[in-house]
Amino acid sequence: MIPGLVKGLATTARTLTRRTHVQEYPDHRPELPPRSRGVIALLEENCTSCMLCARECPDWCIYIDAHKETIPATTPGGRERQRNVLDRFAIDFSLCMYCGICIEVCPFDALFWSPQFEYAETDIRDLLHEKQRLGGWMESVPPPPAPDPGAPPVAEVMAQRAPVRGAPRVGLAAGGRAGSERTAPERQGVRRPPSGSAAPPAPAASPKPPAQATEGEE
Amino acid sequence: MGALEIVLRAAAALAMLLVLPLLVGQTEHKVMAHMQGRLGPMYAGGYHGWAQLVADGVKFVQKEDIIPAAADRRVFKLAPALAMIPYLLALAAIPLHPGYAAIDAPASLVFVLAATSVGVLGTLMAGWASANKYALLGAMRSAAQLLSYELPMVLAVASVALAAGTLSLGEIVEAWSPWWLLWQLPGAVVFLTAAVAELQRPPFDMPVADSEIVFGPYTEYTGLRFALFLLSEYAGIVMFSLLFAVLYLGGWRGPLADWLGWAWTLGKGFLVALLLIWLRVSWPRLREDQLQRLAWLWLVPIALVQLAITAVAVVS
Amino acid sequence: MTSLDIAFLATGAVTIAAALLAVTTRQLLHAALWLVLSLGGLAGCYLVLGAELVALVQVLVYVGAVVVLVIFALMLTRAPIGPSAAHTTTRLHRVLAAGLGAGVSALLLAVLLPLAGGNPRERTPVDSTAIAGELFGTWVWPFEALSLLLLVALIGAFAVARLAGTSDPSAPQAPVAGGAP
Repeated sequence: MIPGLVKGLATTARTLTRRTHVQEYPDHRPELPPRSRGVIALLEENCTSCMLCARECPDWCIYIDAHKETIPATTPGGRERQRNVLDRFAIDFSLCMYCGICIEVCPFDALFWSPQFEYAETDIRDLLHEKQRLGGWMESVPPPPAPDPGAPPVAEVMAQRAPVRGAPRVGLAAGGRAGSERTAPERQGVRRPPSGSAAPPAPAASPKPPAQATEGEE
Repeated sequence: MGALEIVLRAAAALAMLLVLPLLVGQTEHKVMAHMQGRLGPMYAGGYHGWAQLVADGVKFVQKEDIIPAAADRRVFKLAPALAMIPYLLALAAIPLHPGYAAIDAPASLVFVLAATSVGVLGTLMAGWASANKYALLGAMRSAAQLLSYELPMVLAVASVALAAGTLSLGEIVEAWSPWWLLWQLPGAVVFLTAAVAELQRPPFDMPVADSEIVFGPYTEYTGLRFALFLLSEYAGIVMFSLLFAVLYLGGWRGPLADWLGWAWTLGKGFLVALLLIWLRVSWPRLREDQLQRLAWLWLVPIALVQLAITAVAVVS
Repeated sequence: MTSLDIAFLATGAVTIAAALLAVTTRQLLHAALWLVLSLGGLAGCYLVLGAELVALVQVLVYVGAVVVLVIFALMLTRAPIGPSAAHTTTRLHRVLAAGLGAGVSALLLAVLLPLAGGNPRERTPVDSTAIAGELFGTWVWPFEALSLLLLVALIGAFAVARLAGTSDPSAPQAPVAGGAP
């Protein structure tokens, strides 16, 4: 009992003599780790108003308004196309719990984590960030950190390098096969511009999963 | 004693009551923070947050004064004053310098003990009048604790009075010799333990244990009345630290006592206050049964043995 | 009439008023608090009469310990805020109690007033050494008898608590490890 008490006293006394590790925040900027979750930024050009993020949000803090616009046919006799135009995109950060599900589910990479955290307000209603403000956070979004040494290749990069389905195979590194895994075909249609009028129809129309198709060719 | 002198003495005692607790409070802020690897207040007042407690006081004054609807209003309002004034009186009776105490009483030792024993009433009244179960639980714990620790404290103090052959604090200091540090050591330990218990500070903060009963008897208090309770706690620390310095550490005894006696007393008292803060930071809270066992099975017997040793030494 | 007379009258009036309020109030805990004031006023009377040590011990023991114990007991049992009907008495009881109190007071006054009447004593401050000498010299046997009485009461209380505890298995026993240093 007594040694324990003395040990307690000694520990606190030793701490008293040492320098503290406190970094006083407003004077000393914190060094945030990569992938810090500060605020959610919106890249408006990528957004297609698909509403996936709003529907997946656990506390319904994303508000999206959009309308359809008709684009006249570019060639005479061609078909008119319709396009979603984003009117309003707002995140209420007084409700947001920073789970990041919206960023995960966005199929078009329109949402990003920004490490910026200094947006406290004196009025809670000001925590509703509109399109403009969400877009403004984009400049604080850091470039994605380099993968760890020994990590599996990044799916998106490999998908970029994978051969276009149906196109004649050019000599590719063996990594090409690894890249054309499950996530690759999902990204293909989005990211890559169509490589020519010879390209096959959308992947959803193909009867077999494309990854298997590639393997079958080998 | 002219009227002017009375006013001067009262003003000096009040100034001591208002300044010394703030000093102890600020020391606690900083020392506790550094003992826990923090910095404590750094901004209020500019230099290392020296004005933090002044800022706290201003905040307390601005807060709304809430009295619960079911409370006993008069008792509720009276309680903070009753907790505060005894410590003021006790503090005034402690001599700081040869011949200098705000209250000159022949039996100042008994006066100090009597005054502190009245302070308990404030806590009890606060706990009962709040009409809150946490407050009532806290008041009962505090009553049980104070009743238990009053006895060893009085016994330990009696030993000192016996050794000095007087009940006057000033004469006790005159009779003190460094030999007392060893001779009265058990009594000193008992007195310090009982003092921490009377102050209801960790490790004896069962009555206000914030993780169990919010803030015990003071749960319902806000604003200035709450500040009065806090002030009385810190005034109690100052009072018991100075009393310990006077009883066991020889008060103003030291080199140049004629000029610097007051500095010696205050310095020794400050060291004791630092010790109290250190104990608070280092040790966990005692449970109620442990608390009672410590008082009755250890402190009372030790104090009795000390009393017997002192009596034998004095008589022989 | 000197200032001491005025002070004595004032403390005496406070004592009597508080004592009357203590027995007439309908609120249990207020009665205990009025008792505090009454006992404190009594200490003031002692102080005015020059018995400093007696006054301080009065405060230390009665206000600091006995009344705290009373309040503690009240809180442990039942002390509602506001007037409580559970402890009211009938009118007859009250009249009888008042008569008994008045009778005792009259008896005491009748005995004590002639003792002090006529030749007022000089107020002499009593120092603690004199009290100690009287207590442990002249009055040592009553003093020791009183302490023996208190000791018997203490042991009796222990016995009551322990004997009541034997039939109850959940009674506190078994020292908890690490209960003391």
